[in-house]
Amino acid sequence: MGDERRQFDEIFLPHLDAAYNLARWIVQNDQDAQDVVQEAYIRAFKGFHGFRGGNGRAWLLTIVRNAAYTWFNKRLSDQKWVPYVEEKHAEIISIDQSATENRMEKQKEDLRGALERLPPEFREVIILYEIEGLSYKELALSLGVPVGTVMSRLSRARQRLREEFAQVKTRRTANGL
Amino acid sequence: MDCDEVSRLLDAYLDGELDGTARPEVQKHLVSCADCRKEADRIAGFSSLVRATLPMYKAPAELKAKIRASLREASAPESHWLFRLRRPLMYAAAILVLGFGLASAFRTYAPNRNQELISQAIANHACSLMVDHLVDVTSSDRHIVRPWFNGKLDYSPPVADLAQEGYTLVGGRIDMLDKRPVAAIVYRRGSQVINVFVWPVASGKIDFDVQSDRGYHFCGWNQAGLNYFCISAATAEDIEKFEDEFRDHANL
Repeated sequence: MGDERRQFDEIFLPHLDAAYNLARWIVQNDQDAQDVVQEAYIRAFKGFHGFRGGNGRAWLLTIVRNAAYTWFNKRLSDQKWVPYVEEKHAEIISIDQSATENRMEKQKEDLRGALERLPPEFREVIILYEIEGLSYKELALSLGVPVGTVMSRLSRARQRLREEFAQVKTRRTANGL
Repeated sequence: MDCDEVSRLLDAYLDGELDGTARPEVQKHLVSCADCRKEADRIAGFSSLVRATLPMYKAPAELKAKIRASLREASAPESHWLFRLRRPLMYAAAILVLGFGLASAFRTYAPNRNQELISQAIANHACSLMVDHLVDVTSSDRHIVRPWFNGKLDYSPPVADLAQEGYTLVGGRIDMLDKRPVAAIVYRRGSQVINVFVWPVASGKIDFDVQSDRGYHFCGWNQAGLNYFCISAATAEDIEKFEDEFRDHANL
């Protein structure tokens, strides 16, 4: 194994879970998320000489994100965007409900449902900031937008997530679950 | 600053991302405005709820293997190239060495050492299979194999547990290699036996991609002051895969 490959593995393979989590949240299914992450690692490896050290995780996540959007665009040109179906989600929630008992699990499911309902540009900013802990500056680089846009997008994403969360919760309670 | 302005900056303020003059102004407003304070609490509370409870997806186990396979492919053209060149180069070196050897009684030349090392390692590997001397200590528990080497060698070789990856630890043995006693760690996958020789780099570091000779595949690398040489009759790809797994699981 070449030195470059070894170095690459040591820096980037530990971030595999983070990469997958981000891809999974953006594209919303396992198989496509795996394809996206695989593609991202190849891209990262090919562009490895352009990596100047620093936050390897943020660098990789940026590539994952870009690969996810390539995937999105390809899919969008193949078929129309699938609109949100209320019943489908309601059902998922009720199925999960039978298995989950404590309050924490319910909250988890509500939050998952709420985040799934947000548009992808809001989902990714939530994951990158709240879960991956990127700074506003890193987010700006990653998303390719000014810091001011990061500020307003994150703020709106949180606001929307809070609203969706409240709605999902209300619906669940109304269903007597 | 009024409530509208503050509400636009509130997230950044709470995230500690607001600088310059805006920060003290938001602060001042919050002291005097109960509504905005309430909103700030809601934002911060929700944010910590998200962090604490948002489900995270873990990468499926097979994904790592898939990525490794495609990385190998991505870096393959390069190694093929070197690989193809390596052989003629080695022949050339061998001829050169032979020439030098004839001309003088001294024959210490770097490629020679590698070649000698490889021949010796192949002999060791073949010997371990032919003679009933595969291992001196038989155990699939690395906590037994590793301590066994203590006192027999002047270093402690890492013994990786690769059972999850499909390699059964067979045991350990002491062999002679590179003119010194070295640790041989033995794994088995199906019918294939893999020998991993481990010794300090003091006598010179080794590092080369998978090569083949006499039906065996082998590769060498060094890591944290130790040389590693693994050899088996398995395919080149299998050996590369094994190297990946071993490197991953030997405590780095």
